Amino acid sequence: MTEGRLYDIQGFSVQDGPGIRTTAFLKGCPLRCPWCHSPESQAFYKQLSWMSMRCLGLDACKSRCMKACPKDAIEEGPLKTDVQTGEQLRTVHVKRDLCDNCGACADKCYAEALTLCGKDYTSEALVNRLLQDKSFFDTSGGGVTISGGEPLCQIDFVVEVLKGLKDNGIHVALDTTGFAPWETMERTTPYVDLYLYDLKHMDSAKHKAAVGVPNEQIHENARKLAAAGKKLQVRIPVIPMFNWDEENIRATAAFCRELGDAVEVVQLLPYHNMGVMKYLRISDGKPMEATPPSDEKMAELKDIVASYGLNATIH
Amino acid sequence: MYQNAPISERVAMIRAMYRAKKPRIDLARYKLVTEFYMNNPQLPGVLKRARNLRNLFEKMPTPVRDHELIVGHLGEEFRASAVYPEHSFQWVLDELDVFPTRSVDPYDLNPEDREYILKTGDFWIKNATCAAIDEVFPEEYYRDLLGNGVLNFTAKNNSGSPIGHYCGNYWTVVDRGLGSVLEEIRAKKAALLEKGLQGNEGQTLQFYRAEETVVEGIILYAKRYAAEALRQAETCKDEKRRAELLDIADRMNRVIDKPCQSYHDALQACFFYQLGLLMDSQPHGISYGRLDQYCGKYAEADIASGKLTREQAQELTDMFILKVAEINKLWSEGATRTGPGYTSGQLITLGGVDKDGNDATNVVTYMVMQASARLKLHNPPLALRVHEGTPDELWEAGIETTKQVGGVPLFEWDKVAMESLMRRGIPLEDARNYCLIGCVEPCICGCDFANSGGDGNNAYTILPAALWCAINNGINPFPTLHRSTVKKELKPTGPQCGYLYEMTSMQQVLDAYKAQIDFFTKWQVTMVNCYEYLYAMNNPLPLLSATMTGCIESGRDVMWGGAKYNGAGNSSIGHGTVADSLNIIDQVCFRDKIATTRELYDALINNWEGYEDLHQYILGRCSHFGNNDPEADKYLKFVADTYSEGITRGTSPRGCHWTAGCWPVTLNVVMGMFCDATPDGRKRGAPLSDGISPVQGMDKNGPFATINSILKFDQANYANGTLCNMKFHPTALQGAEGDKKLRAVMETYFRGGGMELQINVVSAKMLREAQEKPKDYEDLVVRIAGFSAYFVEVYKEAQDDLIRRTEMSI
Repeated sequence: MTEGRLYDIQGFSVQDGPGIRTTAFLKGCPLRCPWCHSPESQAFYKQLSWMSMRCLGLDACKSRCMKACPKDAIEEGPLKTDVQTGEQLRTVHVKRDLCDNCGACADKCYAEALTLCGKDYTSEALVNRLLQDKSFFDTSGGGVTISGGEPLCQIDFVVEVLKGLKDNGIHVALDTTGFAPWETMERTTPYVDLYLYDLKHMDSAKHKAAVGVPNEQIHENARKLAAAGKKLQVRIPVIPMFNWDEENIRATAAFCRELGDAVEVVQLLPYHNMGVMKYLRISDGKPMEATPPSDEKMAELKDIVASYGLNATIH
Repeated sequence: MYQNAPISERVAMIRAMYRAKKPRIDLARYKLVTEFYMNNPQLPGVLKRARNLRNLFEKMPTPVRDHELIVGHLGEEFRASAVYPEHSFQWVLDELDVFPTRSVDPYDLNPEDREYILKTGDFWIKNATCAAIDEVFPEEYYRDLLGNGVLNFTAKNNSGSPIGHYCGNYWTVVDRGLGSVLEEIRAKKAALLEKGLQGNEGQTLQFYRAEETVVEGIILYAKRYAAEALRQAETCKDEKRRAELLDIADRMNRVIDKPCQSYHDALQACFFYQLGLLMDSQPHGISYGRLDQYCGKYAEADIASGKLTREQAQELTDMFILKVAEINKLWSEGATRTGPGYTSGQLITLGGVDKDGNDATNVVTYMVMQASARLKLHNPPLALRVHEGTPDELWEAGIETTKQVGGVPLFEWDKVAMESLMRRGIPLEDARNYCLIGCVEPCICGCDFANSGGDGNNAYTILPAALWCAINNGINPFPTLHRSTVKKELKPTGPQCGYLYEMTSMQQVLDAYKAQIDFFTKWQVTMVNCYEYLYAMNNPLPLLSATMTGCIESGRDVMWGGAKYNGAGNSSIGHGTVADSLNIIDQVCFRDKIATTRELYDALINNWEGYEDLHQYILGRCSHFGNNDPEADKYLKFVADTYSEGITRGTSPRGCHWTAGCWPVTLNVVMGMFCDATPDGRKRGAPLSDGISPVQGMDKNGPFATINSILKFDQANYANGTLCNMKFHPTALQGAEGDKKLRAVMETYFRGGGMELQINVVSAKMLREAQEKPKDYEDLVVRIAGFSAYFVEVYKEAQDDLIRRTEMSI
């Protein structure tokens, strides 16, 4: 039995596929989208994460984290105001250059301000966990969504999980960047009911410049999935100044049209900056920041996509 | 998609008046009752109550206000609040000067009325029923149990509420008219005298005399309103209003006495009958039951024949709901904290099935819900019965209403509620005719004196206090609630099972807890049964008995067990707190051996001070109830079953078993203030868990896990109802798709064995904003516990508790 690595499981997921779903988020991704709102999904290794909100302050926990760290990677950080008492609390800062993500501090942080992001499951354990929510899927027409990161990077694990879910009659969606050899993608086709499939840019050079990989493989896999009779829910993250020009949206829509009946819906996902704070949990760096596209802009793009005879929605 | 139709001008005006008017204490009822009681000390209980009520029917003011189409008032002024001194009065005298300025539900009081109360109030100190309560309660309780904190039979002479919590038989009033009941009573009485009284029939005769007195009285009372409408019509210049007044006069001459002929008649009859019940006894969970079933056929006939348009029918429904909303329950400040927001607990039940099991939805089901939604009224509370055959349209209407008016309606699942009633011994056909009473208590409509509120004041068993007694040799260490009355050293009040630090196995802890629950539930039953003895003597309910199936037939008042079915209900508080506490004791002291029982005990006694490591470890590292972890959740079942077995063992003087419930109103907050730190990591004074939900903030794995955990005990053992609050973020449930998903969550809970759900669709952010800017959120209605309220009218601690309840969001 194979083990896989997840960074989250989210029940009552109402936006990743039909009905009410539970989404399993797998850790690790070959792409590096600057707008990514789940930065903790990118690295394959476990990462130390620090959430200021949960920190009780060094006085309350008697600096257990600092004492536990074998690398002296935890120093005193910014002050924060306690929501209830109004007191100023001394919190911590992780020196990322010294931290090797061993998790010794997280082990001693009972408040779970410091946690090691990433948890390993055997495929059987994950399937059993997901099956606990089956009654909700049954009443809502929902199911499980396997998301990431890029789930295809853990293909052996994913296939075992998919098999386990299908054996129990669960509707399964796979949320993918599409970036994997076709032989890998093909192994999922017997089990997946719906692919949530990202198309970020139609120009391969621009695609590579932004996210680090070209798009030919992604497009080829989409065509092959369509040819294999699979259903796709295409998702276009609408990123200001990157892919929101009319030319690219038209090209994307034309490509979807070409895929024919396979494409059930094209969802336009407006960029949002709610992930910004998450970067600070796992690094000192900040991601790109941009103004989210206006409602008018989104409506305009939706009309363009719809004009290709596609079922377009703003998500 | 479901949408609200526009409100008529007249309704908009009444609603504006309702929201703007601060309720006033009205002495019309008080003066008549005081005078009557002073002049008639010779009358025995059943006759005293009947003639007192008759006197009120003959003399109470009969205001017919401009614009009204449905009439009836408990006093002179709009939103007047009547005073009920017969039950208890000391608290009114104590708080007389606080009413206008108190922070929860203030009431105005005229200076001359204040004087009148001061002049006459002393009479009631010895003449109110609760003075006698102190006499009938066993002195052993006061000697050995005072200050236990599990039960709250404490202070003398201040039991604020009478036995309430019932639903009359409105079908009799609407379909038959009380005129025919009066004939039946007279025939019974005549036959009895003809035959000669045998055995105990002296009591039976007094019962029929009482019944005759009050039924004649309420018919007369209706006709007095007719006379007033006619009087106004004679001088009315506005032709349209004149016609309306004549119509009111005609109606008030017929309804109550004779069968109803129209939807308008039916609404008026239901309202007026309820008014009669409220004239007799304080509004304490006196519920309407299945209004749509009483009135549906009349509405459908009127709409089909063209007598009413749908809009006119809706306007009448709106006006009816506003009339019900107008009635307040004046409570002491302390008691008001358990149910803030001018609630009167007149729950209306909608939907469900008919006696053959077919869906019973009709046009009134929708119109009542529409009235709540478009008027944004939390009062009266609504319960929607749902089942496998509930139409999609009704689900949609219910969900859209609850999104607009937080928690209205609450949703009750027929299968589980009916199963719980059948375990009380009620046959299926009658179980199908259940309604909810007070907050969430199932009861058969019109034939069941379920008395779900116990003695009206002490209907609660506080489980975390019993846990404290279990681990502290029978001593509850923090019973500040009674510090004013108990000055002595703390002493054992429960069975002495030793201290936590002496215990060497989890089984010992569980045995000690069970011993406390068995002991305290026995005392709960003992005390309320004493109370019932007194009530049967002093406070029969003659008007209720006139319609309640079984009473006229058997010649016995409802208080004497005359109804076809009987129940005696209790509620409990803190399932989650105790379940989680037992789970933590097991985990920390026995399974993982993180701390010794001595260390945990000392940590609790010291409110975790000096034990911060352990405290943080328990909150952050231990598994908690509410996350679908079988090891943690098994204690919920233990806690739920231990209590329900204990209380259900008891029998009531009316020949039935007691029933278990779990609905805390906001007592989980109030009782938390008087409960010491608990092993689950809760600090001294913090709120206890709400309803059957996990400890606030401890269910960290999302709503699926929370629901799966809650479903681990058999709710059908809780015939007195369970209550489960869920709060959703609005973004999770937008539009028609969101409605479907919410319905799916509810159906999953219900099919898994859930009985009741109430939903708040508001963000924590919005609630915080409402705390800061109450003016901007005057109409925001939220579900608090067993009822809904305007958020801004709720006191701060309860607001905070609501915000803390885990927000189920994406």
